[in-house]
Amino acid sequence: MSATADRGTGPIRIGILSLAHHHAESYLALLPTLPGVQLAGLWDENSTRGRDAAQAHGIPLLATEAQLLAARLDGVVVASVNAEHRRFVELSASAGVHVLCEKPLATRLDDGRAMVDICAAAGVRLMTAFPMRWSPVVAAMAASLRAGTLGDPLVLEGINTGEMPDAHRAWFVDPALSGGGAIADHVVHLIDLYRWLLGQEVEEVYAVANRILHDGFRAVETGGLVSLRFVGGATATIDCSWSKPRSYPTWGGLRLEVTGTNGVIAIDAFGQHLTQYGPREVGIEWPFWGSDPNLAMLSEFVAAIREDREPAITGIDGLRALEVVEAAYRSIEQGVPVRLAMA
Amino acid sequence: MSVPEGSDPGRGRLRIGIVGAGFMGATHVAAWTAEAHPVVIHDVHPERAAQLAERHGAATAATLDVLLAAVDVVDICGPTHRHAEVALAAAAAGRHVICEKPLARTVADAESMLAACDAAGVRLFAAHVVRYFPEYALARARVVAGAIGHPAVLRLRRASYRPRHSQGHWLFDHEKSGGVVLDLMVHDLDYARWVAGEVVSVLCNSVGIARPELAVDHAVAILVHASGAITHVTGSWALGRPDFRTSFELAGSDGLIEHDSTVGPIGSWLAPSGDGGHGAVGLPSSPVTEDPYRLQLREFMREIVDGVAARVSARDGIAALRLALAADESARTGHVVRLEAGPR
Repeated sequence: MSATADRGTGPIRIGILSLAHHHAESYLALLPTLPGVQLAGLWDENSTRGRDAAQAHGIPLLATEAQLLAARLDGVVVASVNAEHRRFVELSASAGVHVLCEKPLATRLDDGRAMVDICAAAGVRLMTAFPMRWSPVVAAMAASLRAGTLGDPLVLEGINTGEMPDAHRAWFVDPALSGGGAIADHVVHLIDLYRWLLGQEVEEVYAVANRILHDGFRAVETGGLVSLRFVGGATATIDCSWSKPRSYPTWGGLRLEVTGTNGVIAIDAFGQHLTQYGPREVGIEWPFWGSDPNLAMLSEFVAAIREDREPAITGIDGLRALEVVEAAYRSIEQGVPVRLAMA
Repeated sequence: MSVPEGSDPGRGRLRIGIVGAGFMGATHVAAWTAEAHPVVIHDVHPERAAQLAERHGAATAATLDVLLAAVDVVDICGPTHRHAEVALAAAAAGRHVICEKPLARTVADAESMLAACDAAGVRLFAAHVVRYFPEYALARARVVAGAIGHPAVLRLRRASYRPRHSQGHWLFDHEKSGGVVLDLMVHDLDYARWVAGEVVSVLCNSVGIARPELAVDHAVAILVHASGAITHVTGSWALGRPDFRTSFELAGSDGLIEHDSTVGPIGSWLAPSGDGGHGAVGLPSSPVTEDPYRLQLREFMREIVDGVAARVSARDGIAALRLALAADESARTGHVVRLEAGPR
């Protein structure tokens, strides 16, 4: 079983399983700043990258996944390529280690379902890394909705667009490793926010996509628009395109407008930035000064372990978002709105 | 009233007959008088025509026939469902026709308007004024110049408060106006087509159709263009007064163009006074020397007088109407509505 039961008052020991996702860099930097948390070590399939990161953060580099999971971990952050999430989550579950899994939960629906099931059977917590619920800007919108300021929410229009992610890691644009293109990459964040804000599930999905952006890069879709219908009657859309050119002042962003019976509230979750002008070859940059939602997300993962409870965002939430992604791809193929394939 | 430079007093100005003295009628009368055209106004409510005429030093006509006898060009600013009957009468009288968007309530009406004007040898114009707004015109010119490469993902948004009309007003009668999709979104449907070409499919969700009992209307459409580009279009009457916002993002294979009217050149934070002083219908506010309405009407005049084609044609107006009606049908049925690629 997990270390939870005999944890006592010692620090919560967290490991990092793979640095394939660039968010791992952020987790490595943030985890040691949390009180009562010990970054216990990391494993990476790329031994050079792993050694460099371990040295930079002064933590052990373990030779195998199994050795890391055996290093008296309380929790592990899985930041591998998407297609490997299932394998690492299953290893963690059988080692009795709680998991925070990078989004999207998996590349295939049956993988996602298996991950939820195996963690439940093993008695370990599975959390999906959807940090945006912890953005104070998003939280302010949620509070406003709960207070009824907007009346009944009717239409949600979200924009989670970004640069072509191969700027960070090449595997993002390899469908065998990532599960798809802009749809797989960017739809899940807003789906999670919509489900959270509305308290309703998606029932129907329509999606269109193309491969025109970035000089007609063809391996995966780079442009995508998704339209959703929720069980309660609200509708929503998502622009998930990788539509920011290399010259854009930042990586991308997340914006959301909610139209209700009493007006409209709009947020720009990454709108808290400076505008910095450099030499021509650098151009304009938007240094972000808002609060990092990753910190609060990691803090919740640790708190769930410490308090022996479900985290605020579970594997089920990751699975629900994955169901929408799967439906979006089916809709693109069929050219019509499709119903969700319910678990 | 001043005569603009470059005008030719010897040739004279075409006489304009405004039909419909409502909000858009008033906007057009102001533009025509600024362009030194004689204006005659007809409205089914004579007192409204008289008030508007009084304000601009224009004449009035008690009946449509009287107006048709007194003008060269008929400018239709009345309710959407009545555009066709006025246009047909104008064409029969041999008058050129300028018609507010949407061109008509049905495609059949719009086609009959164009056929009648063609048969009478007069011009028919669809007043899609957004093509004359400088931010929209510039963005499109940049796209045509290759600034973003091939258009890939477009987002177009137009949001206002619900027009301030009484409950029985034709604008709130879906049968007459077509609601926010035909009245407001049609601007951006036209613009989407202007920027990214013909549209092959439309999916739309509309609050006004799903929840007609509500006071707000808000519609979102997703278009697929023949080029492969995809477009997200929002038309909204859901903002609190006095706001009117427009924004767009045009993303292409080699670049991105953004515009947001809320990032404007003027800020004002004033104490509220009475009703706030805003008009019946919201209009964007970013002052420019060249009024888009005047620019549009001047281009229409140039086509009539000098044969130089305006940037928007009656065919464009029919195509935009087709898109709006496809969006309306999609919102009603929940289905994707497919259109023939290319203009008929």
